[in-house]
Amino acid sequence: MSTGNNFWTTIKKKYSIYLILIALFIVCSLANPNFLSVNNLTNISRQLAVTTILALGATMLIISGMLDLSSGSVLALAGVFAVSAYKTTGSLFIAIIVGILTAVICNIINALMISTFKAPPFIATLAMLTVSRGVALLFTKGQNILQLGHFTVLGQGSIGVIPIPIIFLVVIAVFTWYLLNHTRFGRSLYAVGGNEEASIASGINVHKVKYTAFIINGIFVGLAGVLFMSRVNAGLPNGAINYEFTALTAAIIGGTSFSGGVGTVGGTLAGAFIVGFLDNIMNLTNVDSYMQQIVRGSIIALAVIYDIHTRNRRANSMLGRIADKGATKK
Amino acid sequence: MKKTLLSVFSMLLVIPLLAGCGTTSKPATPAPSDTASSQKTYKVAYIARAQSDSFAAWLANSVKDEAQKYPNIKLEVFDGQANDDKENSMIENAITSKYDLVIVQPNSGESQRPYVEKVVNAGIFAITTNARISGIKGASSVDAQPYEQAGVNARAALTQVPQNAKVVVLQGPSGNFHADERRKSWQKEFFDKRPDVKIVGEQIANWNKDEAMKYMEDWVQANDKIDAVISMNDNMAAGALEVVKGNPKYEHMLAYGVDGTAEAMFLIKEGRMTSTCLQNANELAEKLLDSSNKLLTGKEKEINTDIGNPLVNKDNVDQYIEILKKSGTIK
Repeated sequence: MSTGNNFWTTIKKKYSIYLILIALFIVCSLANPNFLSVNNLTNISRQLAVTTILALGATMLIISGMLDLSSGSVLALAGVFAVSAYKTTGSLFIAIIVGILTAVICNIINALMISTFKAPPFIATLAMLTVSRGVALLFTKGQNILQLGHFTVLGQGSIGVIPIPIIFLVVIAVFTWYLLNHTRFGRSLYAVGGNEEASIASGINVHKVKYTAFIINGIFVGLAGVLFMSRVNAGLPNGAINYEFTALTAAIIGGTSFSGGVGTVGGTLAGAFIVGFLDNIMNLTNVDSYMQQIVRGSIIALAVIYDIHTRNRRANSMLGRIADKGATKK
Repeated sequence: MKKTLLSVFSMLLVIPLLAGCGTTSKPATPAPSDTASSQKTYKVAYIARAQSDSFAAWLANSVKDEAQKYPNIKLEVFDGQANDDKENSMIENAITSKYDLVIVQPNSGESQRPYVEKVVNAGIFAITTNARISGIKGASSVDAQPYEQAGVNARAALTQVPQNAKVVVLQGPSGNFHADERRKSWQKEFFDKRPDVKIVGEQIANWNKDEAMKYMEDWVQANDKIDAVISMNDNMAAGALEVVKGNPKYEHMLAYGVDGTAEAMFLIKEGRMTSTCLQNANELAEKLLDSSNKLLTGKEKEINTDIGNPLVNKDNVDQYIEILKKSGTIK
């Protein structure tokens, strides 16, 4: 009996997010017959690709105790620069490089403000959010860039039956998973987020870890910018507004903790798909816009409360064990 | 943990405020010094709704360009950042700074009404535009009619949309005057007269192409057919059309918008979009500066004028593309 209880406790602790995802998947399938169609599931994945790529970058940063509120605006800036480069040169490769470089430069500036000048991450990246959106609007004079021609292949094309944005998402997810779980850098991210002072004491180059995390985030945001503009077939300086919050939502629902040191790629993917399934089923069943906002907000609130609750329980049980050990020693 | 969460929530709450601080209301052009020249120079403030809104940006750019033609007018552009409070503060600042004329493109008309009244009471000329705030004694206005912009499309759709059609509706931001008026117009001019038409999806896509795409992708899955997309602006209509591009099932789908953006013009030319109503920012700018000049030089005391609401469809799209090319809007 006790073994059975332990098994379920372990399952609930480790895989609760996936159980929620599966339950939601079943409910959605029953709620609308169109939900399960291959086309619909492909659509959901295609819709989620851009924000999930941002969410993976956000997860990495939050694990290391940082945050990026500028990703949506930097995405728009990188995207319009990439579109502009494509219109000038006709080269998709140059467009991608320009997009990535733009976002990487913005993220290096973020890292400089946060790591070197010790600015709080939310203020520093908030400043970048405003500046990068302003530059995108100034560069385009607030107007959309049109007639992108072959540029759309990245966002709208497929290789076989698999849409290209999903291939990008899978590659980036595998890369992030490997980075977090199988590299020294990944372990350093968790360490820095868990306890920065202890990391410094144990010889981790915290500056290097933070800069690298932002540079990798920049690469993700740049690619997301190219995919986004390609998908909408326009250079939209106003595009991707609030995408940083969608990305953060996916990460939080997926169990990434704002206190740092906690988070997984699988959790973030599950979080992104939970949001995606919910949005999709609400649209399929024609739930009105206002109600959708209420549902989305409630889900975030529940996820955060669940996160606090689990953390407190873990802390309490840890304190209990320490107290027990202390009592035994006496 | 609690502290962290508290700081995160606080951060989320202050974002809109700080975002605003990030782009302070600096004028787009340098403030003119008190002129000592023989010709009287008038200070005009143009307070835009939000320069991040593509139509508002087009209008602000056109107003700036048009002002160059008037050597007696020094124009400064301010960005209301789609925020009533900010825009109202800017109007108050314009009064304090003793501008000779203030042009207000309201974020939401009624919120700006008392502030425009303050402008008039301070003895300063006021013009409201896109959309006009009507009924302010002493204030002038230059506008397009949002109800009529949608109305010309809706009346054309009465005969174009097939019997028992299934349609989807893309709305602008909730509470936005233009968004609300256009939707009201579609209701009165079309839906009330065509009870056979069924709305199978209706969402707020906030004028955005990417949001409209997402909704349309889901509607395409949820419905066996969609006969028409009724959009409150061209950007969202273009997003919906992007989703069904190349899909033979939607080859004959109708799509309606408002604004007359370059993208909509090309879509109409390609036969993918049915019609739009041109809201010509260049024409608005011409009338705004002409009215400003007449008011400032004493030729008129009050002016209320409108630009046209021309329906653009496949029969006349070439003519409008030419107009936009000449004005530099389409390159």
